[in-house]
Amino acid sequence: MSKCVLLVDDEEDVRAIAQLGLEMGAGWTVIAVDSGAEALAKAAECQPDVILLDLMMPDMDGRTTLKQLKANPTTQQIPVILMTAKVQSSLDESFSDLDVAAILTKPFRPLQLPEMITQALSKV
Amino acid sequence: MTVPKADILVIDDTPENLHLLSAMLTERGYKVRSVTKGSTGIRGAQAAPPDLILLDVNMPQMNGYEVCQQLKSNERTRDIPIIFISALGDVLDKVKAFAVGGVDYITKPFQVEEVLARIQTHLTICQLQKQLQERNCQLQQKIEALQRAEEQFAKAFRACPSPIAITDLDREGRFIEVNASFLQMSGYTREEILGRTAFELKLGIDQQAYNQALQQLLETGSLQNQECKFFAKSGEVRTVLLSLECIDLAGSPCVLNLVHDITERKRLENELISLVSHELRTPMTSLLGAMDLLGSGQLGTLTERGQQVLKIATASIERLVRLLNDFLDLERIRSGKIIMQRVQCNLAEIFEQAIASMQAMADQAKVVLVSEPVAVELWADPDRLVQTLTNLLSNAIKFSEPGKTIWLRARVQENIVQIEVEDQGRGIPEDKLQLIFERFQQVDASDSRKKGGTGLGLAICRSIVEQHGGQIWAESVPTQGSTFYIQLPLQEGS
Repeated sequence: MSKCVLLVDDEEDVRAIAQLGLEMGAGWTVIAVDSGAEALAKAAECQPDVILLDLMMPDMDGRTTLKQLKANPTTQQIPVILMTAKVQSSLDESFSDLDVAAILTKPFRPLQLPEMITQALSKV
Repeated sequence: MTVPKADILVIDDTPENLHLLSAMLTERGYKVRSVTKGSTGIRGAQAAPPDLILLDVNMPQMNGYEVCQQLKSNERTRDIPIIFISALGDVLDKVKAFAVGGVDYITKPFQVEEVLARIQTHLTICQLQKQLQERNCQLQQKIEALQRAEEQFAKAFRACPSPIAITDLDREGRFIEVNASFLQMSGYTREEILGRTAFELKLGIDQQAYNQALQQLLETGSLQNQECKFFAKSGEVRTVLLSLECIDLAGSPCVLNLVHDITERKRLENELISLVSHELRTPMTSLLGAMDLLGSGQLGTLTERGQQVLKIATASIERLVRLLNDFLDLERIRSGKIIMQRVQCNLAEIFEQAIASMQAMADQAKVVLVSEPVAVELWADPDRLVQTLTNLLSNAIKFSEPGKTIWLRARVQENIVQIEVEDQGRGIPEDKLQLIFERFQQVDASDSRKKGGTGLGLAICRSIVEQHGGQIWAESVPTQGSTFYIQLPLQEGS
């Protein structure tokens, strides 16, 4: 089933790669933005099926963006997958208080992104 | 006696007396100068001080007492012993003679033997006195030299910018002396510290760690740069390198504790690590992703050579990612940033998970994995234990020829479980058995390239095991194989 993904990452290259993976891997629609603030606006406006959100961003980081998404009634039901450059499984513990569908560690395989997202969403 | 005896000056206004005394003394080997006037005697004594003066009391112009007083008032002649010779036998005369500085008094008419004996006695006393003065002077110089040396070292100790403390060895490490820098760092006053131990003051190093360090100190005589926490009185925590050295102070064994504050260095190190972590990972994510997309063929077909090149590039980036992951993992475990999530878990299940994740690699290498688990409960971080075992198994597989076997075993000894990973690989040279647990210390420098390791796996294993309060080591017979041992306490604090 084709999906609409809102991709939030401040790194242009990472955004481009992820977008290519989602488009080429599964033919999904991708809306790519480079900041938390823009993500909040686009999420409310476009109502994507899932939000792929980078954790480390300047100005408004992933954590803050996530909290605001979940606080807004028009975006709170959209599942969010956090992307992080951190490595440890034990770090997942610190995200346990956050309402996320999954945590995706960088680096990822772009063509496997659609499958990983589908799997994560099926668990929600 | 052939050696000329002392030089004696005789002052007497009666020529007969002078003659008699002079002859008597010359005969006994003394060098004699004789004068009839007090003033001449004084001049002679000043020109060439004799060893002893025989002085008549009753003389015209200047009497013996006056002559004596003048001689005593002069620096050059002050110390010459003067023996009075006089016909005056009154006690008061004698007392006066002593009062003006004479050492003895002989009454005329005199006995030759008596005069000689008294002269000899006073010459000896004078000589002894001189010797005593010399010795005294030497001692004084020695004391001054010692004081200077002591002052130099004391100053160096007190002013040393590095905190230094001296503790005793036989009374639980009580502080004997500390320098200003140590006081400043600890926040305590001298009075608060001296006579107490580091544990009583809760300076930070736990008893066990300190005892271990002390043990090592006693075995090797010194301990270099042991990293530990230092708690100041204010509660502020600093990271320090502690070096210990055995010294002997006035016969009692003591320990010189040198503290090197590396808190700021650590902070920069951590900052660098998190910077590297983020800044390196971002381009690596793009690179690896780009390779992946190129390799999928969806962007156009590559020639066979093109695919080969892409494969090399991908493998290299993957190795870079692994290296970075391992490096960050190790740093975080070592710095205590990753806390072991210890729970009650079953060792058999941990074995099962480790074998499951390594089975494919073993199959590919045509190596047999044999697991001999023990269903024992232990207090540990299961993920981290699995990580440790897969690391050891992966190493064993890498260095095993096809057809060989690797055993994963466990045995319980009281409240400790010993895990063993035994292989039939090429073995580890004896001199490398300890070194391999350090960072980037593979047995062969080319191993990381050939075997795909990062050179950090065993260092990570050791950090994880140590965070569990356990220990890890290896034994090996070259060409026969190696066995890695892990000992873990079954329960917390056991």
